[in-house]
This record gives sequence, C-alpha cells and structure tokens, in this order.
Amino acid sequence: MSWLGRLFARKRLEMELDKELRFHFETQVADKVRGGVPESEARRLTRLEFGGIDQIKEDCRESRGTMGLESTLQDLRYGLRQLRRSPGFAVTVLLTLALGIGANSAIFTLVNAILLHSLPVTDPKTLIRIGDKNDCCISDQWNDTGDYSLFSTETYSMFRKSLSEFEELAATASFYGGGPLTVRRAGPDTVAKSMVGTFVSGNYFRVFGLSPAAGRFFVDADDQKGAPITAVMSYDAWRQDYAGDPSVVGSTFYMNGKPATIIGIAPKGFYGDRIDTNPPNYFLPMHAMDAVIGAAFFTDPDKRWAYIIGRVKPGTSLPALQAKASGLLRQQFAGLNSFADPRAQKALPRTHVVLSPGGAGIQSMQAGYKDHLKLLQWIAALVLLVACANIANLLLVRGMSRRAEFSVRSALGAQRSRIVRQLLRESVVLSGLGGLLGLAVSYLGAHALLALAFPDQHNMPVIASPSARVIGFAFALSLVTGVLFGLAPALMAARTRPAEALRSNSRTIAHGASFLQRGLVVLQAALSLVLLVAAGLFAQSLSKAEGVNMKLDSTNRSIAHINPQGAGYKTTEVEPLYQTIVERFHSIPGVLKVGVSTYTPMEANDWNSGVKVQGDPDLNKTASWVKCTPEYFDAVGTHVVRGRGFTLQDTMNALPVAVVNQEFVRQFLGNRNPIGHRFGFDDPLHPGTDGAHEIVGVVEDTTYTSIYWKNHAMYFLPLTQPAGMRAPGDPDQSVYAGAIVIETSHAVPGLEKIVADTLASINPNLNIVKFQTFQQQINDRFTEERMISRLTSLFGLLALLLAAIGLYGVTAYTVVRRTAEIGIRMALGAERSSVIGTVMRGAMLQAVAGLAIGIPVAIFCVRYVKSQLYEITSVNLQVMIIAVGVLALAAALASIIPARRAASIDPVRALRIE
Amino acid sequence: MKHEDRFDLPQGTLDLLIMRVVALGPIHGYAIAQRIQQMSREALQVQQGSLYPALHRLEYKKLLAASWQSSETGREAKFYELTARGRAHLKAETENWKRLTGVVGLILKGTVEGIS
Repeated sequence: MSWLGRLFARKRLEMELDKELRFHFETQVADKVRGGVPESEARRLTRLEFGGIDQIKEDCRESRGTMGLESTLQDLRYGLRQLRRSPGFAVTVLLTLALGIGANSAIFTLVNAILLHSLPVTDPKTLIRIGDKNDCCISDQWNDTGDYSLFSTETYSMFRKSLSEFEELAATASFYGGGPLTVRRAGPDTVAKSMVGTFVSGNYFRVFGLSPAAGRFFVDADDQKGAPITAVMSYDAWRQDYAGDPSVVGSTFYMNGKPATIIGIAPKGFYGDRIDTNPPNYFLPMHAMDAVIGAAFFTDPDKRWAYIIGRVKPGTSLPALQAKASGLLRQQFAGLNSFADPRAQKALPRTHVVLSPGGAGIQSMQAGYKDHLKLLQWIAALVLLVACANIANLLLVRGMSRRAEFSVRSALGAQRSRIVRQLLRESVVLSGLGGLLGLAVSYLGAHALLALAFPDQHNMPVIASPSARVIGFAFALSLVTGVLFGLAPALMAARTRPAEALRSNSRTIAHGASFLQRGLVVLQAALSLVLLVAAGLFAQSLSKAEGVNMKLDSTNRSIAHINPQGAGYKTTEVEPLYQTIVERFHSIPGVLKVGVSTYTPMEANDWNSGVKVQGDPDLNKTASWVKCTPEYFDAVGTHVVRGRGFTLQDTMNALPVAVVNQEFVRQFLGNRNPIGHRFGFDDPLHPGTDGAHEIVGVVEDTTYTSIYWKNHAMYFLPLTQPAGMRAPGDPDQSVYAGAIVIETSHAVPGLEKIVADTLASINPNLNIVKFQTFQQQINDRFTEERMISRLTSLFGLLALLLAAIGLYGVTAYTVVRRTAEIGIRMALGAERSSVIGTVMRGAMLQAVAGLAIGIPVAIFCVRYVKSQLYEITSVNLQVMIIAVGVLALAAALASIIPARRAASIDPVRALRIE
Repeated sequence: MKHEDRFDLPQGTLDLLIMRVVALGPIHGYAIAQRIQQMSREALQVQQGSLYPALHRLEYKKLLAASWQSSETGREAKFYELTARGRAHLKAETENWKRLTGVVGLILKGTVEGIS
C-alpha cells in the first residue's frame, strides 16, 4: 500500500488495529476463564496486564511510518479547534500578526518597487550609466567637486565616438519633457491634450534591447538634423487615449503644433529610463527638441542637459573605462567658454565622471525617497518587534495556563515530543493565518501608501500588489515569529512533570507572570514610547514646515498652468496674448488681480542663472529668476518693500528692468542701495552682458520651490523683456508664460470651467495644463512630509495598541493566577481599592520601566532622523510629555480592566477554585 | 510479580524472536506471545505494548505480511506470515545472532575464569 494510500486508508487501519487488540484481549480473557478464573476477575487482570491500550495504539501508529503527516493533519485540526475554543486569544494574535506583518510588507512592497526595482529591459545588469548624480535640467555651471553627470550634445557625440568599450551609448534628457507637450492628433474633432514627452537619442530603445508593441522604434536616420519629426508612444497612452487603435502607428500628431509621425508603440510596462510619478507618454528623437520645445542649448557645447547610459562590452574593466572617460571629458572641458574663468580652470583637473550601475535607470526618484523609505522600514520593523513581543507573551500565557491540560495528556500517555510538536504546529497555524491576513493588509496598505505618497501620479510604474518576493518575505516573517515564540512555551510546558503540575495547580501564591513575560511588556512599552516620540517629532516638523511664513497669500487665489508654445504662439506673438489674457480675466466677475508668470511660488520648478553685478567682481553665485506681468506680485501676495514693482510700461522693447528680493540684495549688494544697480550674466565672450538689467525695486523673500531652500536669492523680470543680453537669432524661450495667477474677491464656484472657457475663447488651442488653488499647490509640496507624519503616527499608535494589549494580557494573566490569593486577602478584610491598587501598581511599574528605557533611547535616536525633520534637532519637552502621557494613559486603561476584575472576586468562590 | 527470572530483551531481539515464531506458519499476535512464552519456558513474557508495535513495524518494513483469517475460536484474527524478504532477513539475523552470542560467550567465559 502506498504511503498516500495508507493515509487515506487510515480509518480502516484504525479499525483493524482496534479489532486486532480486542481479539488479543478477548482471547486472553477466554484463556483465563478456561483456567478457572471468574470472567469479571479475568477481565480485570487482563486489563491490568494490558496497560494503556491507547498507548499501544499510539506506538503502533508511530511504527507505521505515516505518523508525520497523519499527526500533522491531526495537529492542524486540533490547533484550529483550540483556536475556535478561545476566540479572544486567536483574534488578538491574528490581528497583531496581520498588522505587524501587513505594515512591514506594505512598506517592503514600496521599497521593493522603488529602491530594488530594475528597468523592464533586456539584461538590466549590464547597463552602465556615465555619472552618478541626478543633477537636473540644463546647466553651464562648473562645480568644485568636478563630478559631472549631466552632459552636452557635443560630449555625448565625443563619448559615443571615443569610448569603443561601450557597445552602444544612449542619451536621454535629464528633464522629462521640458514642460508639458501639447499633443493633438491630426484630423477633425480632435482635442489638444497636455502630455509628458521626453527626448532621447536614436539608439535609445536599441540600448535597452526592447521590441515595439506595434510599429517600429527609431533608427539613426530618425535622429538627425533635418529629419522629419517622429515619435514613439507609450503603451499606456496608446491603450488609454486611443484604445490600442493600430492606425495610430503611421498617423500624424501635432506636438506643440509641429507635425510628427508616430512610428511605433513602446512595449507594455516600459516606463522610460527612470521611475517617475508621470512617466513619458511620448518619446521623441533629441534632434527634434529644438523644433518642438525650442532648445538652443542642444547645439551649445557649454550647455549640459543629457544623461548618458549604455552597455559595456563583456570583459571591460570599469575602473579603466571610468579613467578614460574622465580624461576625455577633462580634455573637452578645457576648450569650453564656461571654463574660461580662472577659478574654473583651477577646478578643471578635478573633472571626472563616475560610472554607476544603470540597471535600475536614473535614480532620481530613488535618491529622493531613499531616506524616508528607510526610516519607514525601521519604524515598521520596530512595530513588528512590538507585535512579536506581544505574540510571544500571548503564547507564553497560553502555554502556562494550559500546563494542567498537558499534564493530564502526558499522564494519559501522550509523548512529550508530540505535545511540543502540537504546540509548535498550533503556532505555525496561527502565524500562517496571520501571514495570510497580513498579506491582505499589505495589499491594501501598499495601495493606501502609494496614494498617500504620490497623490498626483499617473501610470506610475510602481505596482502596489505584493510581488512573490514580498509574499515570501511576509510568510518567512510570520513563520519565524510563530516557531520562535511557539517553541519557548511548548518546551516549558512539556518539561513539567505531570504529577507535579497536577499537584501544583491548586493554591499557591508565588505564580505571577514570569520575568520573561514582564520583560517583554517592558520592551513593548519602551519601543512604543520611541515610536510615539518619533510620531510627535514628525507631526511637529510637519506643522512647523506648513506654518513657516512663506511671505505669500493664498486666500482666494488659484493658479492655472498653461502652455502658449504648445498652442502654437511664436515668441513675437506672446505680448498681445498676455495683454488679452489679463483683460479677459479681469472681466470675469469677482476677479481682483491677474498675474502671468513663468512659474509661481511653491511649485516644483526653478530657473536659475549666474549673476554678476556690474562693476563688482564675479562672485560665481547663482540666483533664481521668474518673469512676470505687473499684477503678479499682488496676485501671489508678495509685497514690494522698496522702489517699485513692474508696470504696463515695462514692455518688450522698453528699458530692461528687474526687481530683486531682499536675499538677493544681501548676497550681491550688501548694504548698498540696490535701486539703480545693474546686473546680468557674466559672459567673457560678450563683454557688457553683466549690465543687462537695472534694479528698480525690492520685494520680500517669498518662498519659491521649497521651504528647505533657505537664503534663496531671486530676481524678477518683466515677462516679455529678454533675459540677459541675447545674441541675435537666439529666440528667448523665457517669454513663454507657464502660469496665470488669479486673485478673486471670494471663492468663485466653478472657476476652473470659467478659466478654461475664457482661455478657449482667446484661442481654442490654449488649454489648461493644470488647475489648482494656490493653497492646493502649496499643500502638494508637503505630500512627503505629510505621508511620513501620518505613517509615523499610525505606526506609533499601532505600537501603543499592541503594547497595551500586551500589558493587559500579562496583568489579566496575573490576576487569574492569583485569584485564590486575592480571594484570601479579601476574605481577611482587604479593601477593593487596595486590591485594585496592588494590581495596577504592578502594571504601572512595567510601564514606568518601559519609560525609563524608552526615554533615553528616543533622545539618542533623534540624531538618525534629524536630517528628515524641519528645523527640529532634538526631542523637546512638549513632544516627550505628550508621548509619556499617552503611554501612561494606555497603560492605565489596559490594567484597570483586570484590576477591577480582581477586585470583584468573590472570596468564597475564589477559595473554592481548584 | 510471579516471574522472578524474567529479564529484559536486548534491543532488536524481539523482532528476531517474532520472526522465528512466525516462520513456523501463519499466526496471530496472541499466539505469538503465547508461543514465545512457551518456547522460553516461561522466561520471556512479551508485553502487548512491545509486541504490537513490533509487528506493525515488521509489517511496514515488508518483512511480514498480514491477512485476516478466522482463528481456532472462530473469531476473525490478524494472521502474520513471513515474506520472502522476511525469510532471508531471519536467516541472516539468526546467523548474526549465533556469531554474536558465540563471541560474547567466549569473552565472558574467559573473564569469569580469570576472576575466579
């Protein structure tokens, strides 16, 4: 009979075993009777000779070989039955596990998706990036460290030609899209939409080893000067916007008004070369950049804008390659205008590149979230530790309270190993179930986390469903927890001698909770205090960050982002457009001020340039700049503190003027009166460019980009006046506005629709890229801080809850163990209040011990999160007092229930308890 | 206890004895115990607690085969008999046992003489 067959024939085998032994018994009795013994006596004697018949059966089963599996099923069944018998225990353990494991796997899902994820391309391991930093956008600044990650078109061509160690090298724009792309499919009844586009070299898809979902990818001929504009559409855009229509391939689309042919569709799941909340919908050859978004920098050897990534040939020495690339770059930089300055010349020998693994793509998102994700992982791990302590405690309590049961069972002949095994399996059943629940929690949790972390995301390539890795992680965790903490009570319970345990079950006073149990509760209290303090600090950090005086006014202000270039306006046509916009918007009832600008305060945007005050030496410092219309300062709530703001007279061809902020004055002019000074860029090739703008006013330091950007020097220019001295034939892209700021007298309902209609009435191609109230825009800048604060609070409360359950469990257990003792005390005249006091004192003592450990640990640990807090460097008294208070309150609540139960013990009944 | 001269069987000996008894022909558990007791002249009394696990172990190892037949009293009983494998095993083990006891006896004899 096969092993499995035996298992299924178990019933029959059991019957046969019984029959066989019964036969033996009856025959033996019959023999005795034949020998003259009366039947009843014969039966008694035989029974004595037989001993425990169940023990014999057990031994027979044991020798049969199916024992392992058979008893596993039996143990599992028994385990489940036991759990059903004590639902309170089961629910507590399962909830604890589900929350502990769920929180961990949710965080791990996010970590896995963001930090550990490889690009969905062929053989990502052999991708190597030249550069290791995430400098963005367009730069012509030299830096002191000499580490470069951003390169010009010329450097890219040079690397491609000279670095034969690379099989292929691709370039990709460091900025995604360079502002939104207005895309409209050719044909009647099509609407223009704002999309994300990016510019890549012609071999981009080849480097990644991808094959198109439809059509074809770029060939080198598509990425050449004068080549007709082509584009590859992302799979998501194709499915979502065009329902996977195959006729999209080959059709003409207008990108910022320029006709482009869609030649192919990127494969499903390909999201470009980096994780982004809004991955590109369109990939265009980089040579189309100038035509589509106006990119004079593309041909300028001083302007660095691209990341370079490629595949090295097998067997290439990376250090040697890195040295070679660094040498080539140094050589090329030596001839650049931007390195003409003597200080740049001094920094030149330090010029180098660092080769970094490119398998995960450009790591900008990873770099931004690494610290926070790591912190969250730590916090989640601490919560899991608290949860484990809780489960250990619950299993311990349960193991202890079942000592009598085990004693009876071993007295009846159950093997000790069998009991241990059964307890172990019970805890494995528990942790398995807990793991399943935890998985469900993590599935929901990861979705919630993602929504919390990236509220603006659109087709973000982060999958919130737990991967096989995460599932494995969750189960490994739960099994380890179960086995570890199932083992201790199992061994303890199995070690007891049956007789002793049965005897000691009655009236004793010494048996409270064990040192181990109390130690676990103290640990939990300490950990939850640390987490509560962390939660407090992050909450305080968030409120401090949000409460910072940003020197702006967001009440009844809304911001509509626009893209006039995408609507087809030429640089010479924008001045009348802005006038029309201001006029039309003013005719909307309730509108007070209308400002048009390149970008607005507290927006993820920054334009900066080098600044040199005419007549002063070059400080080699930069300042950010914004171009705007006269009412802009009023519209965002920035006050002019000196001189004047802009007026309607500051037109395109009028005297070039500038307004600077107070920080600009501090950094560049010191105590001098700024009004009347001239400044500009320092360009050795074009003398006199440092006098491009005359300062006519000073405004206060409104916060732009981020509140973490302190001492942010800024200057403002009239929207249509040129930025700096422009060479003839160099069209000034900065005349294109990006935002309209509208201040209204009251909250106008349906303003977005009104704004959209007004824009459409000016030009049907002029659509809203994004519409938000000013306050929403500001709130969005605190998304990450808010997420961290919410999660730390959540985890802190979770830990607190678990610790409270632990404390409750141990206290309740103590009360049960001491029922008889308390009964005697009360019979002897102890007051109810003194009983409550005794029990609560015991519980609070553990909480206090937890505090004694937790407070110094919390104070010590602040250093590790300091960098993630806004202007908080140590634990302050307020946070500490609240955390301690909350913990003490929870401890009091957790112990008052068992204490009251103890006090309500009826002495007479307590004494009768055996 | 009435059998003062009972002694413990060395590990594994019981299996050998059982197989020796079963070798005589199909036999049920109770009769095996009886037969061992008789053959050892009442010196060995096999407890049910050792007999049945051993039988089941031998059956599991396919050294014994079992079938249900009616016994001398007319009741159905489980009868064991040796398989071919069991027969070979018994032969080999008996040889082993004889060699072992011979050698052990030799040594013990010498020691006893040396002491006395």
